[in-house]
Amino acid sequence: MALLSESTKTKVQAPKPMATPSAWQAWRYRSKVALREPTTLVGILTALIFTYLILVPIISIVFDAVRVQFGHERRLRQDVGDFTLYYIDRAFFSPVAHDLFWRPLLNTLTVALGAIALSLVIGTVLAWLISRTDMFGRRWFATALIVPYMLPAWTFALAWTTLFKNRTIGGQPGWFEAMGLTPPDWVAYGRFPITIILALHYTPFVILLFGSALRRFDSQLEDSARILGARRYQVAVQVILPLMRPALLSSMVLIFAKCLGEFGVPYVLGLPVKFEVLSTSLFRSIASRQTGVAGVVAASIMLIGIITLLIDARLVREARRFVTIGSKGSMNRQNRLGRMRLPATGFAAAIFILSVGMPLLTLALSTVMKMPAKFTFDNFTLDYWIGTDLHTVALQTGILLSPELWAAARNTMMIVGLASLTSGILGLLVGYVVIRTPVRALSVYLRQITFLPYLVPGIAFAAAYLSLFAVPRGPMPALYGTVTILVLALIADQMPYASRAGISAMTQLGKDPEEAAQIAGAGWFRRMILIVIPIQKGSLVTGVLLPFISGIKGLSLFVILAVPSTDVLTTYSLRLVDYHYTQAANAVVLIIAAIAYFGTLLAQKLTRTNLAEGLGS
Amino acid sequence: MPTINLRGAQKNYGVNSANAVSDLDLEIRDGEFMCLLGPSGCGKTTTLRMIAGLENLSGGEIRVGDRIIDSVADGIFVPPEKREMGLVFQSYALWPHLTIERNTDFGLRLRKLPKAEREARVERVMQALDIAKYRDRYPSQLSGGQQQRVALARMLAVNPGVLLLDEPLSNLDARLRLEMRAELKRLHTEFKTTIVFVTHDQWEAMTLATTIAVMNEGTLQQMGTPNDIYDRPANRFVAEFVGSPPINILTFGKPGDSDVADKAEAYFAARYPQLRGIDSIGMRPEAMGYAARLEDVPQGSFFGEMTVTGVLPTGGSWILELRSASHTLFLTTHALPRVDSGEHVFFHIPPEALHAFDAGGQRITEADAVLRSNTYN
Repeated sequence: MALLSESTKTKVQAPKPMATPSAWQAWRYRSKVALREPTTLVGILTALIFTYLILVPIISIVFDAVRVQFGHERRLRQDVGDFTLYYIDRAFFSPVAHDLFWRPLLNTLTVALGAIALSLVIGTVLAWLISRTDMFGRRWFATALIVPYMLPAWTFALAWTTLFKNRTIGGQPGWFEAMGLTPPDWVAYGRFPITIILALHYTPFVILLFGSALRRFDSQLEDSARILGARRYQVAVQVILPLMRPALLSSMVLIFAKCLGEFGVPYVLGLPVKFEVLSTSLFRSIASRQTGVAGVVAASIMLIGIITLLIDARLVREARRFVTIGSKGSMNRQNRLGRMRLPATGFAAAIFILSVGMPLLTLALSTVMKMPAKFTFDNFTLDYWIGTDLHTVALQTGILLSPELWAAARNTMMIVGLASLTSGILGLLVGYVVIRTPVRALSVYLRQITFLPYLVPGIAFAAAYLSLFAVPRGPMPALYGTVTILVLALIADQMPYASRAGISAMTQLGKDPEEAAQIAGAGWFRRMILIVIPIQKGSLVTGVLLPFISGIKGLSLFVILAVPSTDVLTTYSLRLVDYHYTQAANAVVLIIAAIAYFGTLLAQKLTRTNLAEGLGS
Repeated sequence: MPTINLRGAQKNYGVNSANAVSDLDLEIRDGEFMCLLGPSGCGKTTTLRMIAGLENLSGGEIRVGDRIIDSVADGIFVPPEKREMGLVFQSYALWPHLTIERNTDFGLRLRKLPKAEREARVERVMQALDIAKYRDRYPSQLSGGQQQRVALARMLAVNPGVLLLDEPLSNLDARLRLEMRAELKRLHTEFKTTIVFVTHDQWEAMTLATTIAVMNEGTLQQMGTPNDIYDRPANRFVAEFVGSPPINILTFGKPGDSDVADKAEAYFAARYPQLRGIDSIGMRPEAMGYAARLEDVPQGSFFGEMTVTGVLPTGGSWILELRSASHTLFLTTHALPRVDSGEHVFFHIPPEALHAFDAGGQRITEADAVLRSNTYN
């Protein structure tokens, strides 16, 4: 009874507050809580930065597509900047639309579908062999078969031309041509090689995604079916395949999106026979200053990219329903291959040789041979690497002694390094804000805006940057030809990976360690310095390293935004290709491939993760 | 620490979502060991986090003594780092990059205490919790039980006004849990801290708490001593949630459909005609007895004839499962049962052990006195 009377007394002291406060009171309280810490402020600032770096360029290029461009005032009898449907008409309906848009679109689609089909067939078989059988050397293959993904795709395009180039175009002949076997054009250039190369390059996607789904697969599900009397093939068709469908569809969609933005391979292999895809068509429009048409093509590429990845997002959501929590059942059970063990290993080895061994070997050999395909001792030389006083018009030293290479390397390190460092730090900040801010709208906006560049193929994004920053706007001077535009574009382009890394790191960290510090009396800055950053050291390193690697081998952004003074390794090697300095170009590509490969290994080592997890998330 | 008062505290996580906590009044006094007890999702952890300041309110206020520390209407929010409370997380949340000693020392460093005092206090809690020998290890090198102790030590080191514990024992195995329970009780006496303890384990709440607050669906169901909660549950939810095997409920007013319940209704009508509005009665399995023959049923008790359908030993006691056409009842006995499945028995229970509830599921408190005074007349 005493208890009751006392609690009544306190109630008399002060009237009990109303359970539901007025809207104004609730708003005041919420904003007080939200603004108490810098999280929200940091969030608003980063949101503004990304709006400017990501959203505004995209809007700008879409506007370019429907506004009269400089030089067309006369023909259209309108002022520069007026609304017009001329470019849309030109790209979609005019007599040249076929060349500008429709054939490139058709080519893009057929190449992408071919690549998807081929890589699915090869990839699923390899994934199964690696993760569920007793094939010889499966551990080694598990890493070795992923290598193509770590190398720039057009490495393989260059290897292909080194082997198959025929007399259609000038310069040093390919090996087969040199041996007297002239490859037909359809083998040397265009659809066939592009499809093969993209398929081989993206097969690791299937191996990683499908393989990790296979490994996560709870074998108790399989066992239950077997115990109920299902045969092996029945289990495969009725249990395993349906559950694997999301992973398969997801890798298909990802490959499609990647093919859409692929520039280097069709540029190297398509141009000689005027085989155009959307990205090369866009490049041509930009190179010929058809800004309006470029806007239309870029916007179309973005639209296709966005639609594709929205489909993927749906599939991933669907896949979540299928997540079978790995318990003790998800052990890695192996199927015995029996008599097929050796042939299976042979198949994996063949794919490895085709997709890694041959191309790299070809490239490496091509850089130390004077004449193609002449395997005599006197034909080998290190001149292309370290020679001096060569009898060529330009590039009279070996590539390693050429100041241009080192200038390009320095540029690469500086531009890509600066951009990666910035995006890595921004990524962690974004991750922090997205997970922590009490303002939900801010969290959602930041998450989506930083993800947006992922939906936009690099080449279209570069076009968007060109459209926005080529001329001075407001306080911003014209940035074309500067290092700044490259750094900004790279930061924006890398934000999807950086922010995802940041968000997943913060999600994994959870709130608890930070809340415990808060309870112990630590304010925001102390928590950042004493708890969050020390714990997140590792993911900060990856958050910088992974964008760095993809930036090093990236081509499509640079090819549009870089000028000779801001040459990076990739554009430098492309320029060498254009000048038919085959050996030098191949050497540079090998250097890039080596940096990308060892960088990836380093990143994996540092974080003790593998690429599959990064891809799957 | 002065009394902590939650008044009209409310929490919802979205405009359209149901309240995680609604209109909660709670008073935690100095030195109390209070358990927030309820099923998962009942809002007990949210309540704890609101007290700590890790969740902001959607309505209502929180006071410490006369000081308002959190109020929507007044726009006051004291951040968690300034509330001087301690919180032990369910996951322990030890900082993985700091040694055990640095983990324990963290709060003291923030408070800029002199080094000698810091060392003395760290030493004292590490000794008290028997973790001094792990001082240079990292959290990942300790077992769950040891991590638990570090999490406690880390909070006790700063000598918080109130120690909030969020299901701290749920990740331990049964034996360790028992040890830690005793440990917590000892620490409560030794450090004289107010403790608020969240659990869904009624046994834990019963053994530890000085006061239990039972919650369900975001509202407070009953607050009282463990005995109050068990002996005089305020409503059917509390009655059914606390106790294992759960209380047997007989619902009135479905004549014909319900043999034992009909009998109970008739029993009440005959003996206690003054009691009205009874909708259901509850019988704790422990309060019930059984007899093989009608003659052995004690005078004046409520009884019924049922078939034994199961004899379940629980080690030291037995649970009898009894069935009639429409009911299954459980009965606990501490003596070796002399009956077997298939036999008929008479269960019986003295009237003072009966709980009467109205149609809203609330306890009819007037019935208590009546049932007690009328025994055996």
